[in-house]
Amino acid sequence: MAEQKWPEKYPVEGKRGRKYGTVAAMRVAPMVKAAIGGAVEAKAQGKAIAYCFIESNYDEIIRAMDIVPMWTENYAGICGAKRDTQRFLDKADSLGFSRSLCTYATCGLGFDAWREELGSMPPEAPWGGQARPDVMLSSGQIICDPRNKWYQAVQQFMPDVPVYNCAALWPLYEDDIDRREVEPYYVKYLAEDLRGLVRFLEEHLHGKMDWDRLWEVIKLADETTDLHAECRELRKAVPTPMDTGDAMNTMVPQAFMMGTQEAHDFYRDLRDELKYKVERGLGVIPEEKYRLIWPGGLPSWFALMDFNYFWSKGAVFPVESTYNELVYPARELDLPRTDDPLEYMAWRWMRRQTYWWDKARKRPGSEPDVEKLITWIEEYKIDGVVIHEAYSCRSWHVGLLWQVNQLAKIYKPIPVLILKEDRKEVEYRELPSLVLESDMIDISSYSEAETRAKIDAFIETLESIKSRKVEV
Amino acid sequence: MPEDDFRPDGGLSTAEKYYEDYGSRARELKKQGKKIIGYLCSLTPLEIVTAAGFIPFRIKGSVKEPITKADTQMETIVCPLVRSCFDITLKGNYDFLDGIIIPHACDSITRSYSTIRYSLGLPYSHFLNLPHTAKDISLEFFKAELDTFRRSLGNFAGEEVSDESLIRTSRLYNENRAKVRELYELRKSDPPLISGTEITKVLVASMSLPVEESTELLSRVVDEVKQRKGISPVQKLPRIMVIGAQVDDATLIKLIEDSGASVVADSVCVGSRDHFPPTDITPDPLDGIADHYLRRLKCPRTYVEWTEGTYDDYLELRFGHIGSSLRDFKVDAVILYILKYCDPFGFEVPARVKYIESLNIPVLHLEDEYSMASIGRLRTRIQAFLEMITSW
Repeated sequence: MAEQKWPEKYPVEGKRGRKYGTVAAMRVAPMVKAAIGGAVEAKAQGKAIAYCFIESNYDEIIRAMDIVPMWTENYAGICGAKRDTQRFLDKADSLGFSRSLCTYATCGLGFDAWREELGSMPPEAPWGGQARPDVMLSSGQIICDPRNKWYQAVQQFMPDVPVYNCAALWPLYEDDIDRREVEPYYVKYLAEDLRGLVRFLEEHLHGKMDWDRLWEVIKLADETTDLHAECRELRKAVPTPMDTGDAMNTMVPQAFMMGTQEAHDFYRDLRDELKYKVERGLGVIPEEKYRLIWPGGLPSWFALMDFNYFWSKGAVFPVESTYNELVYPARELDLPRTDDPLEYMAWRWMRRQTYWWDKARKRPGSEPDVEKLITWIEEYKIDGVVIHEAYSCRSWHVGLLWQVNQLAKIYKPIPVLILKEDRKEVEYRELPSLVLESDMIDISSYSEAETRAKIDAFIETLESIKSRKVEV
Repeated sequence: MPEDDFRPDGGLSTAEKYYEDYGSRARELKKQGKKIIGYLCSLTPLEIVTAAGFIPFRIKGSVKEPITKADTQMETIVCPLVRSCFDITLKGNYDFLDGIIIPHACDSITRSYSTIRYSLGLPYSHFLNLPHTAKDISLEFFKAELDTFRRSLGNFAGEEVSDESLIRTSRLYNENRAKVRELYELRKSDPPLISGTEITKVLVASMSLPVEESTELLSRVVDEVKQRKGISPVQKLPRIMVIGAQVDDATLIKLIEDSGASVVADSVCVGSRDHFPPTDITPDPLDGIADHYLRRLKCPRTYVEWTEGTYDDYLELRFGHIGSSLRDFKVDAVILYILKYCDPFGFEVPARVKYIESLNIPVLHLEDEYSMASIGRLRTRIQAFLEMITSW
């Protein structure tokens, strides 16, 4: 592979093979480490800590009330990336939690049970450990049973820590129901439930919501999303300046730090870096042969180097669905005017979750998730689809197979020549797809040799299709 | 009772027939021009389906049928019961269906909605969104969602679903539930007058029938079993309660009873979970229906808020109905039967075990894959458990 000259402004770090990653992404690990260590420190200083789930529509409320979030899925992911989950999973197993349950949750349950037994952090806990919370904020969404049940299960070890279960529902797509018909009662429910959350936090943490501050945080969060969306737009360039391997890091400020100046500035810097690279034609790899999409599903956090393996084969991922579900600028959502910040948050949540509904309705057989894929496949000039099925997570992974099957059924963008009765005819074929199988943090489910053999075979398929593709 | 119904000697043999040839009655009704709507899970409001003029038909799986067709379209990490239901439907066993209703029960069901509705290609499908909490605002939301469902189903039926018809069907389902409770009363004697295997077959058969026929069948079974007074065919054995999600196949219950116990109580779907709580008949019938499915039906997917008292009080709030059954049915031991990949129940296992053991009742926790392949393993564990409790 040819080398490309890298500018001094964004120097090559070459760290752990992430030779062509963004400089911004390299800031993420220290940010996360500081946040986790910061939560432990904040706890010692008597600040309020809340166990939280990402993408639950309560970020701005937490920030406006100066509550320190402890993102428990994130902490399990860090244990996974550091390959230090087995002892926590084993602990949960010994308590009667099945190995078939979400391993983020069982890792967290094992960790909490152990910490409560010891009265201190488990020995050599990754990055100093998970701070003990004052409250826990569950998230009863349309998907993810663990988010509904995890903290209730934690109360077995920490009965003194109260839980508020937030309603973060949205409707599923139906052929016979227009989203506008159901929006009013969904929004009313979401807003009222957020009001209940504020009351709960005020009661248990003895703070008071500053409603003006909440509006300021919302404004900052919206500007942050705008910048993040700009970054995604810039990745459309050929060659792409950033791929999914990096996005699994750069999602951190969006997912875990919304409503903070730090998150805002991070995406401003990332946007500037990507702009700079696009203007100079600098890509993740110098010679892009194949552009792939990651349509959803969590990666194996302990095996992110698999993205580098794709790079070594000339393949990049300019776009992914994972952690991109809510990255739609508020100005694109046609939100009704309101003076109530909670109602605003409810409308924004609802409109983001139904963002692709109207477009999907125009294509027979399509659905929002499939329509999003088709749109991005076209906009990002995608050659193939790669999904990862994590065995312990039904919420993000069940249905991916259907999405890929349905995509193949209704969308055939590749023209190839076929011999039919002594003459050649153009036929359109679907995009090739690859299904990887493992888990997000349970390393015992992973085989590097098998994964890479599958990638090799997929690259051969991509090459074969490329050679047969014709111009029409 | 319809004229064309096959009626051998008694209710139990009719139930056995409908259990063994599950769906046969729905097929007959379809031939007569009736419309059949399939559904998954006890959270489907049958009162609305029936009021719209359809016959609700509960889709069940089969532990005897290996899952083959479903695996090309549905992830194998889906709950094996849901996979089995989908597999059997794909294979054409329920080719009489005109539609399908899927409630927001668990991730396995919810995330499979698109897979199921597109693969089956039925004229009607609907996803009913239940909130996860049972707060007052959740109830208000759910009522609005039920109203959307009512309109959607009414559009498909070509006729609005009226309040009057909802009140009528709410009464019909309450009569049905009352009959099931009457049947359960006959399990309270020692030995019980009806075995767990028999009652499972009756209840499974019943969920494949129109509600009036189901109630009639249950009445005949009650009458028949009452005749056994004093001459129970069931032996005096350790009394077991089975707790879990959906038990729609008598294989497990038979296995327990063949191992030397009587299954006398349950907290499972298709059993007491669906049938014990009645629906309040309210001026606006959707109020009663919403309350029934969101608050009275004790499924772990619906989060119970802890607002006061100790943790033990909270366990009582969540599992008190189990404690009542343990006392009422004089249960000696519990088998907690959890399907692999079941998140709502899976996260509750330690809490449920703690609660039951606090009442000095031994518990066996089994995780299963809803397949005949695991029967040998289950038998060994059940036999060992029964030996342990009888030697106490």
